[in-house]
Amino acid sequence: MRNVCVIAGGQCQWGVRQATERDLFQEAGKACFEDNKIITNKDIDGLIVGSAFTERCSFQTHLAPLVAEHLGIKPKNICARVELLCATGSTGIIMAAALIKSGEADVVMVIGGEKLYTPQRWEVNYTALAASDHDFDTGMGLGLPPPAFAAVAKQHMKLYGTTEEQLAMVSIKNRRNGLNNSKGQYKEEITLEVAMNARAIVRPLKLFDCCPVTDGAAAIILAAEEKAKYLTDKPLVYFRGSAQASLHNMSANMPSWTTWEALKIAAQQAYNKARVTPQDIDVAQTHDCFTISEIIEYEDLGFCQKGEGGWFIEEGKSDFGGQVPVNTDGGLLSSGHPFGATGIRQGIEIIRQLRGDAVRQVEGARIGLTHNLSGLMAAHTVLIYGRDLE
Amino acid sequence: MMGMMEGKYAVTMDLYPLESKEWNRIYPFYDHLKEGRLTTTVCKDCGKKAYPPRVICPECLSENLEWVDLPTRGRVLVVTEEEVGAPLGFKTPLIHAIVDLGELILFTKMTGVKMGELKEGDEAKLHVFPVDSVPVDGKKGTVIWQERVFYAFTKA
Ligand SMILES: [Zn+2]
Repeated sequence: MRNVCVIAGGQCQWGVRQATERDLFQEAGKACFEDNKIITNKDIDGLIVGSAFTERCSFQTHLAPLVAEHLGIKPKNICARVELLCATGSTGIIMAAALIKSGEADVVMVIGGEKLYTPQRWEVNYTALAASDHDFDTGMGLGLPPPAFAAVAKQHMKLYGTTEEQLAMVSIKNRRNGLNNSKGQYKEEITLEVAMNARAIVRPLKLFDCCPVTDGAAAIILAAEEKAKYLTDKPLVYFRGSAQASLHNMSANMPSWTTWEALKIAAQQAYNKARVTPQDIDVAQTHDCFTISEIIEYEDLGFCQKGEGGWFIEEGKSDFGGQVPVNTDGGLLSSGHPFGATGIRQGIEIIRQLRGDAVRQVEGARIGLTHNLSGLMAAHTVLIYGRDLE
Repeated sequence: MMGMMEGKYAVTMDLYPLESKEWNRIYPFYDHLKEGRLTTTVCKDCGKKAYPPRVICPECLSENLEWVDLPTRGRVLVVTEEEVGAPLGFKTPLIHAIVDLGELILFTKMTGVKMGELKEGDEAKLHVFPVDSVPVDGKKGTVIWQERVFYAFTKA
């Protein structure tokens, strides 16, 4: 099996965009090629496009050939779309890596994005209902995630003593990390007082505990190691291993609300494949769709003991200078969350950290991790990247 | 919701399932709801009781399934209250609860309760209500309206 490297990455401006889905994909593709001037659209032999709501928000299916046409890419080995809601982007990266490893393709662009804001505001929230089990959860009003994550937070607080202040500390850290991320949705710091006094969404979750709705796209290019050596003049970053696990879909079948068993499985599989342990991770981008999510992820990724996630943030262990800086570019809470692009944005931040050219650099980072959850905590995706193969 | 195109109704984009026999093999679930019963399928070969109901056993893949009743009363474990931002089709506040039915734990909408009214430990019971009917194309331009129901829980 061949080794796989990540050789370029870029994203468009994220936020509420005055642009169509295809505009966003074009901007992200250009940003990706600008990150590495050696590679051009003519070098790409495979294209994987990620979008969760393209049919719903843009009434556009068969998206991959459309994006290829707009970016001047003429794929000869693969041209297809993937979808796994919030993990769509990272799923595309896993599939591209597998195709390259096996020899099915040599140089693959993974590009993902969403145009979520539509002319009528009701559609924005309504569309999210398509993401849960339509016949059993949607009619319960369980498409928008805040009620489910509020239920998670309440139980975690009751079981482990996690506090609302600790939840707020996650958004304060990630907003601070995103301050200089020019492409992110927010560039304002918040204080504990502002976070604690913000309006309730679903208690205990308040405004700053929830990631926003975001238009945006991002792209990354993976290549077989022997090609990568000629297609970049920057340090090589290796795709070390990944895994994806799912144990349920409908809310009624959740194994546990506060311990995400599928995350533990995916993390262990990814650590095994990458031949690393949680203690080896120098920098991580985890799925902070809500502040409580990041706290549980510290625990179930093995960065700390179960139940100690609240203290992990409080003691600064997930901040710069701590045990493992998490969401160094601002995460979902500050960058925003266009589902198809999020895992790619996380991958871009990790390759920058490992190359040593991140906006806010974790000194000497050699191994990085990204994580997404999707749906009602129904699937978990973990990817590990490294500066080295061993 | 109604589109502007000749008053057509986008049935496949609405909140509720197509429940009738013509569209759905688990239609007895909805017939039972109309009788006030919450039911699911159990496998006669391996004994696996799954929720939601199936046409194939998720454990042994048998098609030899039968309908059984589930409890319609349970205990509230967690309450969440969505004060703003409920999606179209739902009233604010949108209140949910994790309800322990004994053999099944459901995360369900709670009807007929106000903000702050529902507490952990309260008893909850099944509530079945009508939802929008489905317009189905009949012969020679006629439209047949198929009635539907859905369920939630309410304070007992
Ligand atoms: Zn069976």
